[in-house]
Amino acid sequence: MSSEYEQYLSTFIDEAKEYMAILNEKMLLLEKEAGNMDAINEIFRAIHTLKGMSGTMGFENIGKLSHLMESIFELARNRKMVISSGLMDSLFDGVDSIGKMLEEVSSAGTDSATDCSQLINRYEDILQGKISSSPVSQEPKEQTRHTKETVHEQNPILDQKELNYDEIPFSIPEEIQHALSSAASQGYSPYYMQIQLDKGTVLKSARMYMVFHRLEELGSEVLFTVPSVEDIEDEKFDFDVDVLFPSRLPDEKLVKEIQSIAEVENVRIIKLTIDDRQKETDHKPILGGKTDQSLAESAKKPAQGKNGQSLVPTTITQTIRVDIEKLDTLMNLMAELVISRSRINETLKQHSIKQVDESLAQLSRITLDLQNIVMKIRMVPVSYVFNRFPRMVRDLARDSSKEINLLITGKETELDRTVVEEVGEPLVHLLRNSVDHGIESRDERLKKGKAPVGTIHLNAKHEGNNVVIEISDDGKGLDRNSILSKAIEKGLIDEIPALSLSDEEVYQFVFLPGFSTKSEVSTLSGRGVGMDVVKTGIENLNGNVTIESESGRGSKVTIRLPLTLAIIQALLIKVSGFVFAIPIASIDSTLTLPTTEIQVVQSREVIVIRGEIIPIIWLKELFNLSKEKKYSQIHVVIVKVGAKKHGFVVDTLLGQDDIVIKSMGKLMKDVREFSGAAILGDGSIALILEVGAICYQDRS
Amino acid sequence: MGRRVLIVDDAAFMRMILKDIVSKNGFEVAGEAGNGIEAVEKYRESKPDVVTMDITMPEMNGIEAIKKIREHDSSAKVIVCSAMGQQAMVIEAIQAGAKDFIVKPFQHSRVVEALNKVLG
Repeated sequence: MSSEYEQYLSTFIDEAKEYMAILNEKMLLLEKEAGNMDAINEIFRAIHTLKGMSGTMGFENIGKLSHLMESIFELARNRKMVISSGLMDSLFDGVDSIGKMLEEVSSAGTDSATDCSQLINRYEDILQGKISSSPVSQEPKEQTRHTKETVHEQNPILDQKELNYDEIPFSIPEEIQHALSSAASQGYSPYYMQIQLDKGTVLKSARMYMVFHRLEELGSEVLFTVPSVEDIEDEKFDFDVDVLFPSRLPDEKLVKEIQSIAEVENVRIIKLTIDDRQKETDHKPILGGKTDQSLAESAKKPAQGKNGQSLVPTTITQTIRVDIEKLDTLMNLMAELVISRSRINETLKQHSIKQVDESLAQLSRITLDLQNIVMKIRMVPVSYVFNRFPRMVRDLARDSSKEINLLITGKETELDRTVVEEVGEPLVHLLRNSVDHGIESRDERLKKGKAPVGTIHLNAKHEGNNVVIEISDDGKGLDRNSILSKAIEKGLIDEIPALSLSDEEVYQFVFLPGFSTKSEVSTLSGRGVGMDVVKTGIENLNGNVTIESESGRGSKVTIRLPLTLAIIQALLIKVSGFVFAIPIASIDSTLTLPTTEIQVVQSREVIVIRGEIIPIIWLKELFNLSKEKKYSQIHVVIVKVGAKKHGFVVDTLLGQDDIVIKSMGKLMKDVREFSGAAILGDGSIALILEVGAICYQDRS
Repeated sequence: MGRRVLIVDDAAFMRMILKDIVSKNGFEVAGEAGNGIEAVEKYRESKPDVVTMDITMPEMNGIEAIKKIREHDSSAKVIVCSAMGQQAMVIEAIQAGAKDFIVKPFQHSRVVEALNKVLG
């Protein structure tokens, strides 16, 4: 890597990964719909940009590989090569190799460790037409034109005097042909011009704009460009641009005019001949004698319709890339601001000053807005991780020779960037499980009377302050009995109480560390591989995981994640003089009951709310603060973990507040009952209850 | 006779560099200006053959200045000086009537090429 570019490395990697995602997505689409031109064009653009980027950074291996792939897609794009399924596989290999090299670049700063010479040879063979799986077009002279660069160096076609439409190395949309034909019948000549900019040109798109501007000054409207006007605006081109336009001027004059623009290295022009059939049909509509102006307009329309926009500066969208660390710092500062605001609020409760109250209310509003914006800035759509799954599932399904259709919905759902990144691994585990062990083989499915192709549905959606990600499959589901016998064998539960466990409680066993290992896969319908990793991963993000399953019909894993990690809404409660915080997200309701309502079922204290039996936990007892239980009434906070409810008995409910989660540090990492601590408005500290862990402990 | 160039840039450093390039290549410096308003005034006073115009400047930016100058003299020849990434501004300047653009950091040869081409 050139050292002067080292500072751009992280931007390079980020952006390269985005292009990789596009590549994977579009390649899959192309595999499904062979010959999809949009997909081919997108792939071509992505790989082309990757090539340019890695070239700039000095990553030669990536550059070389992407250059060859680009050449292949260039041919496909010009309909000079058909992408067969065999070729598709080796192109997938290429994408993988580039991905691997990018990984190396981000870890070791170089791409030279990977040997991709085999692939390179293969691609070169393909390009030279040695491999029959990729028939090249009939015209033998076309075979040598791998890339745009060579087209312009050799310029075989421009040696001729005139060219027919179909001899141009790209296809002209019909409406453009019409516009050119009608211009021709008005005394204009349709021209095909190749413009090559100086290799040292900076601000290439502004330079091209000057070219277009000059042509306009000369009375010609540019009707069609290759690459497209959008790509030219975005500087997505090397140095060559081909344009089509009608003009009344002789070709030498046009060349001279364009050549006189600075940084224009080379200009070639050729007059296009009009297809006779078209000429005739196009004569009729313009017999009324259109003026030059209306001609220009009619010519303009298709060009704009095709390209969507003209070269107006306002169309350039503006985004910036920001280091995630800076956003973390911003979030921390935001959090401090929230704390300070709470403290001022607290102080003013004692000394109310009217003027301050007003400005404080405003401060509160602004902080809230600011908080929302900061959170939004950090949000990325889950497609960020979802996009790599179609490819993964395709490969896994192929390896295990199953037919699986992965359905993804809600991938535009947004989540905090850190959460999105962390959730990737657990999702990989879960999808793997579904493919390996959930979905049955085609024969097995047919025997069971199911559709031969299995379906895995990955869905993301917002639910209150949470994002819910569901992975469901129509496979064989979990087997309650084998899970239970395993649990009994492991001494996790006795045989008698085991019978009274709900299905959901039984399924929770698979999340226990070491509950299942690879050797026991088959006895447990294969579930449990790394499930404890999944659970820990999700819980570290303050989320939770539940499993639902119907034997023979499939299973569904639901992951519930908070939108953000730093600031949460919490209910503050008091127990024996200590203040604790319970995340609002896990609270179902709060109520006050006479003590007499407490009943004992199976030596456990419960309350019955609307016919539902809810076990209660005295927090003061749990935390060894006091054993005092002589009250006439109790305050209960009903919390929900999955579908299961528990009641926490507290002394006082203090109210709701935004709190900022601060980690308790490594020393306390084994304390499972608390997810962190928060600084309150009065400067005191409240521990934040980890509701899931407390309820789970209570159950076992 | 050396053709006369008016140099407009808010940074004295950049003006210095441009003056250097211009005078070493057989042109004459007609004057210099540090913002758009000054540029318009200087143009009227000195009637240069060509102007090099920075885009981002205080008081009046380069694009406004180009418009003002061309209102006064529709044959005025202006070359915009732009930084990397100012694509949109450059296009706007060309729409406003600039004849060419050069990009900072300047390559001497490009500056001279632009001046020669614009002056025909």
